[in-house]
Formats: sequence, structure tokens, C-alpha cells
Amino acid sequence: MMGAVLSPGVAAAILFGTFFSLMFLRVPIAFALGLSCLPIFLVEPRLTAQNLVQETFNAFNSFILLAVPFFLLTANLMNVGGITDRLMKLSRTMVGHFPGGLAQINVVLSIFFAGISGSSTADAASQSKIFIEAQRKEGYDDSFSVAITAVSAVLAVIIPPSILMIVWGGILTVSIGSLFLAGIIPGLLIGLVQMATVHVYAKRRGYPTYPRATLSAFAIAMLVSIPALMTPVIIIGGKIFGWFTATESAAIAVLYAAVLSLFVYREMDFKGLYAALLDTGRLAGVTLFCVGTASAFGWLLAYYQIPKVILAGVGAWDLGITGTGVFIAVVFLIVGCFLDAIPAIIIVGTILQPLAVKAGMHPVHFAMVGIVSLAFGLVTPPYGLCLMIACSVAGIRIRDVIKDTMIMLMPMLGVLLLVIAWPDVSLILPRLISPEFLK
Amino acid sequence: MISILHRVLNVLLATSVAILIVPVSLQIFSRFTSIIPHYIWTEEMARFLFVWTVMLGAAVGVREQAHFDVDLWPDLSPRLNAGVKLIASVAILGFALVFVWAGYEFTRFGWNRTSELADLPLWTIHIAWPITGLLWLIFQGQHAVKQLRIALGGSAS
Repeated sequence: MMGAVLSPGVAAAILFGTFFSLMFLRVPIAFALGLSCLPIFLVEPRLTAQNLVQETFNAFNSFILLAVPFFLLTANLMNVGGITDRLMKLSRTMVGHFPGGLAQINVVLSIFFAGISGSSTADAASQSKIFIEAQRKEGYDDSFSVAITAVSAVLAVIIPPSILMIVWGGILTVSIGSLFLAGIIPGLLIGLVQMATVHVYAKRRGYPTYPRATLSAFAIAMLVSIPALMTPVIIIGGKIFGWFTATESAAIAVLYAAVLSLFVYREMDFKGLYAALLDTGRLAGVTLFCVGTASAFGWLLAYYQIPKVILAGVGAWDLGITGTGVFIAVVFLIVGCFLDAIPAIIIVGTILQPLAVKAGMHPVHFAMVGIVSLAFGLVTPPYGLCLMIACSVAGIRIRDVIKDTMIMLMPMLGVLLLVIAWPDVSLILPRLISPEFLK
Repeated sequence: MISILHRVLNVLLATSVAILIVPVSLQIFSRFTSIIPHYIWTEEMARFLFVWTVMLGAAVGVREQAHFDVDLWPDLSPRLNAGVKLIASVAILGFALVFVWAGYEFTRFGWNRTSELADLPLWTIHIAWPITGLLWLIFQGQHAVKQLRIALGGSAS
């Protein structure tokens, strides 16, 4: 520490103390993070509020984060352009006849959606509008509908493409192509346990079901959806073969969705396009602004070497790969309750990396443990964006859906433990398909 | 007046999202075809436009009260609720002032500099900070006045 007036302990107390006080006073998280940096800038002679502006500028001046608005836009174009409708019909012919048919469709549509857009917030926003009202009409409990919509939305960041993987790969220098491949199996497993959860709920509560679709209905729905289902192949393939960078792959997703909406399904008009663009700008602005102030916050933590102090003891524990994995998951699960996933990667991912390296964890394995844990954070209160979005669409309060959300997270926690304890769940696909990434 | 400003910002925001896709597409296509040359400024252009998009979105977000907060309070009476929100408003207004002031310095700092690749004057990007701060002051000020009225027992109008 060169010439810092405050000791790491005092600086940490100021940063976290101010942040949690402001959060408690209902100051929006993005502003609370920025404001909690200010006392430090006043006290520390070498730092000024200029540093705050400079750090937010550095955060936004990033080609990687461009993927966020692109994936949001992809999702919005899918909705106004009729792609979502077709995938919904396909899902219905596949799982509509299961108990709790509509809720099963909700999960399966999220899986398809996850393969095209990498944004869980976009998934939560669009599927809340589609499903919550429809499920209400069919007699599902509100808290169940909101919880399953929010919980299934997190698949979007686990199944490739994924904004979190792009950010993780960019910040911690891991191959994004192998992260994409690594996410496939854990993502599908989580989708599967969610469908099982819906099944149990539906059996116990007698939720309705649809008549089984004929094989030809399924074939037709499949045929119609093929152009849309090609998207993940193009994006992931293009990334792996090195045709384009991660951000460019998100731009390709936008262009492809636009082409489908305009020329193949032909459902988009100018009004729809404008609404899609505006909605993208709003959500991107709000979520990314938070990334800016979180970066300033994280920068100050690093300036005082606070992470080093906190983790000084942990390194000596000698936990082994699984133990370290559990430790990392617990840290991310706790942080995820209070922070959005991207700021969490920026602040905490960089802190934990040396620990993972020391334990001998594979970088891709470390990334998957982190990303799956952070995906839980999208629905855990008090700050779970997907849950907040679903609740606001449904017009109910978060505390009314906490119980069902927690129940649904339990089986998913099992998948997380599997991902931690058995690295091959994540590593097998990248190893088979692109061994050169895994050195 | 403020709602007109809001509408103008919305149009700007939607437009900037639409334009954002152009430099990145150019970058991809120039790599695979020889129809367009491989421009060196596309990446920087995209980043700068992105900065503006985020800042505009953050400004519109304050107007629409779309920035996410955490609600740990029990149900409060409308007046008490407005009182709590007023405290948060004051905090946001304070942060806006910092952005205006530090952003002004930031803009002056970039006054005579240009960007590395596209040779753009840097102040055109830096000025997004004081402008966003000003927009926050206007929008959050409006909310704060409304909250103050409710907290004092009048009617919101």
C-alpha cells in the first residue's frame, strides 16, 4: 500500500457499510454502489470523483459488453417477429400433454430461447408477459407461475450463447468457445430437473394438461421452427470455428433474428421494431449502468487490496478441487443475492480466480461453477433481477413467491453440486469438440 | 415539457441501439468479403456509441423509475412510503450533482484530445457524463417534488 490514508479494513467498512445502508433505504443498487465510493474519494488525497467518472467510462468503453444490448435486441426481435410464437407451438406439441402442460411449455420454451439469446432478463421479461396471465387463466397458483417463469429464465445464461460466458471469458481470459460448449450439459440438466419439479407440482396440485399432439402436428411445428433453431448452431459454430468474436456472434444473432422476422416469418412492422429497439435500450441502459458503478466499487476494493486481506486465510485451508468449488459456489450464491451477475463477475470473479488456480481447478470448470451459481442469484432475493421482473409483470410482491422459488431451486442445487464434484459434466463437450481450447 | 424531453430521449435511445449494429456488422462482413474495405474505426465507433446508449438508457431509466432497488421494508402507509422514497431521491440527486461536476472536469480534460483509432474528439463522448447528470437532476427532481407532496399529506398531481 503506497500512500493510502485508509487501511483496508476501514476502507472496506466504509464501502460496504455505505452500500448496505443505502440499499436498505431503497436507493437503486446502481446508485448505491456509486455513492458508496464517494466518501473514499473525499478522504483519500490521491483519489477524486474524477476516478469515479473515469472508471465508469472504462467499464462502458468495452467491446465485450456490447453483447448485452445485442442479445436483448435478439430476444425482443424474436417476440415481435413471430419467432417466439413458433417455438411456443413447437414446445406445445412436445410437452403439452404432460401434467401441468403450460408450465412444461414454459420451461421448454426457455431452453429454446436460451439457445438463441444469452440474456436471462430478456427471457424473464418476455416469458412473464406470455405465461403468467395464461397460467392464471388455467388455474395455476400465481406464486407457482411467477416462480417457474423466473427460475426457467436463468437457463438463458447457462445454455449457450450466454452474456455471462462472454463477460467471464473476456474478463478472466478463458476461451468463450469452450465455455459455450461447457454450458450445454449443465444447462440441459437444469432444464430437466425443472421439468421434473413442474411434474411433481402438477401431480400434487392437479394442474391442467393439453391433449397429446399428433405426430404430424409435431413434424409441422418442427419444420416451421427449423430456421429459428438454426440460430444456436450458427452462433456456437461460428464462435468455435473462429469466424467471429463473441460480441460479433451476438450481432449475428440480431441480424439473423431480423432476417427471420422480416423475410421468413414476416410479422414485424415498424412499430414493433421501434418498440423492440426502445425496450432494448432501456433494459441495457439500466443493467449496464449498474456495471459501471460496480466497476468503480470493484476498482476501489482492488486499490486497497481488500480481497487479498479477506482471502488471506482461505488459501491456507487447502480445500482441494471440490472443496474450493463448493467455497466458490457459496461465495457466488451469497454475492448473487445482492448483486447482478455481471458486476459480480467483475468484482468477485477476479478475486476468486487465484484461489481456483491454486487448487488446480480447470479455468472452464471454475467458470461453470461461477456462472451456474450466479444464475441462481438471478432469482434469489433481495436482488434477483429475473424474479423482480416476473413479479412486477404479475403485479405481486417478491415475498409472496419466495417459498415456491426456493423449492424449485433445491433440485437445481443438486445439479450445481454435480457440476462442482464432477468436472467432466462441463469439460466433456469442449474436450470432444475442440480439444485445442483446453490445453 | 419534461415529457417532451423524455420522448426525444426515447427516440435517440432507440436510434442509437439501431445504429449500434452497423459498425459491428461492417466489421464482420469486411472480413469475409472484399466488397467493403476493412475499416479500422468500426470497433472504436461501436464502443463510443455504446457508451452513449448506456448513458441515455440510464437517464431514461431514472425518468421511468426503472433502476432496480431492493425492497426490504414492510408495507408502509402511502405517506411514509413517499418519505422513504424521498430519502432515496435525495441520494440520487446527490449522485447526479457529482456526475455533473466531475463530468464537467472530465469533459474539459478531453477537450483537446482525440481518440486513438477514429480520431474523434474525446469530449463528444465525455460530455455524456455531465449531460446524464443534468437529465437525472431534472427527472429525479420531478419525482422528488411529487414524493414531497405526498409525504406532506397533499395529493399527487
